[in-house]
Amino acid sequence: MVGQLNKIHSTPEKSIPALLDTVQPTLLSCQETSATLAALIPPNQFWRWKDMWSNSLRTAVFSAALVQYLGNGNLASLSQVSETLGIKQEWKDRFALPVEDYLHGLISLVNELSRLAVNAVTLGNFEEPIRISIFVKDLFAGFSMLNLKNDTLRRRFDSLKYDIKKIEEVVYDVSLRKLTPQKEELNTK
Amino acid sequence: MAFSGVFDDFRQNLDEYNDRRERLIKISRDVTNLSKKIIFLVHRLMMETASGGTPDSESVAKRSRDKLQEVQSIYARMNDEVPDEQFWRYHQTISPGLQEYIEALSFTHYIQYGTLITYGQVRTSLSDDNGVPFFPLPLEDYLLGLSDLTGELMRYAISGIARRGGRAKAGEVCAFVRHCKADFERLCPYVRGLSKKQVVTAQSLEKIEDAVYAIVVRGSEYDLPPEMLDEVIARTISSFSSVVSKQKPGHRGRGSDDEYEDDY
Repeated sequence: MVGQLNKIHSTPEKSIPALLDTVQPTLLSCQETSATLAALIPPNQFWRWKDMWSNSLRTAVFSAALVQYLGNGNLASLSQVSETLGIKQEWKDRFALPVEDYLHGLISLVNELSRLAVNAVTLGNFEEPIRISIFVKDLFAGFSMLNLKNDTLRRRFDSLKYDIKKIEEVVYDVSLRKLTPQKEELNTK
Repeated sequence: MAFSGVFDDFRQNLDEYNDRRERLIKISRDVTNLSKKIIFLVHRLMMETASGGTPDSESVAKRSRDKLQEVQSIYARMNDEVPDEQFWRYHQTISPGLQEYIEALSFTHYIQYGTLITYGQVRTSLSDDNGVPFFPLPLEDYLLGLSDLTGELMRYAISGIARRGGRAKAGEVCAFVRHCKADFERLCPYVRGLSKKQVVTAQSLEKIEDAVYAIVVRGSEYDLPPEMLDEVIARTISSFSSVVSKQKPGHRGRGSDDEYEDDY
């Protein structure tokens, strides 16, 4: 799934929806996995076993969030992601999507978007970096509101600023060279 | 800001988790602290009663159990802190204290009955008045707690050697710890951290074995039954200490570590 999503870096803006459609079945197949896991876990023991799959779960969150962003440009909420992955509310004590794993997925999303900003420009899409920049800044502001303790989430959060810097540089390059659409329009007038 | 509402919820969620974790760490520390004190109390009581005849294990166990009640009430209160479905989330936080408690409880149990406490008995001790357990007692913690018990038994056996009847006791403890070690061995692959504790158990066992060896060798030099030997030594000590107390009041001339010295 992540492999398929890697194609976004080389897919022109117009064909993105078609690409997303090919990912959708794989993404939805996570629902089966969720159901299998939920059936395996005894009641009240979710937290006992969660470490076994949290890495995979984070990747799944990342994919779901990326698909959503590319689809309509907004942030997938925790409940939306749960729904996409087929995690049901009534499984709360057996299988759930913890906030921590969701946030890990979002950080992966930012990591990926900073790469996308660069590659979008290569493909001639000069608007994308600006959209990404706004989105990521909002997200970063959100993360800044959290009181993180010194764990992996905190370290990954600290790495976000490098992604932001990278995106900023792209935006800077694009606007300085007057490649943004508004300015193009101005130039042609 | 676009996502401030959502992230507000996340912040609350994470804060709640962290705060609760901190509180549980404190509870766990309290329990560890209290349990350690109980273990020392039992050691001390056994030594004290030793000087005045055979130790009264029943009354020692009773006093220890009174103290253990305090720990149990801490767990009863902690129960409100942890919702059932989240117990395993905080398991790592709770388990050090829990193991220490099981160590203290099983030590008391051994002093009283001379047997290993069962999983069911530990669970019953951590239940409310209706017999409903406060939380699902993890088997790992039960086993790891028992593994710590062997270290305490080593201390108990060796410091008890100087005492009347302590020699026979050391032999019993030696056999008991040996059984524990053998039975735990095959559980090692299933419980994380048990193999490390097995190494410590092996060291403790070796110390007890050395002590028991010394008893047997020295005991064989005199052709006396063990009770007679105890009697002779007790008499020597009392006459010696009465001489010493005349000369240097308060000085007993015996440290707790030199457990072989009474064999002169």
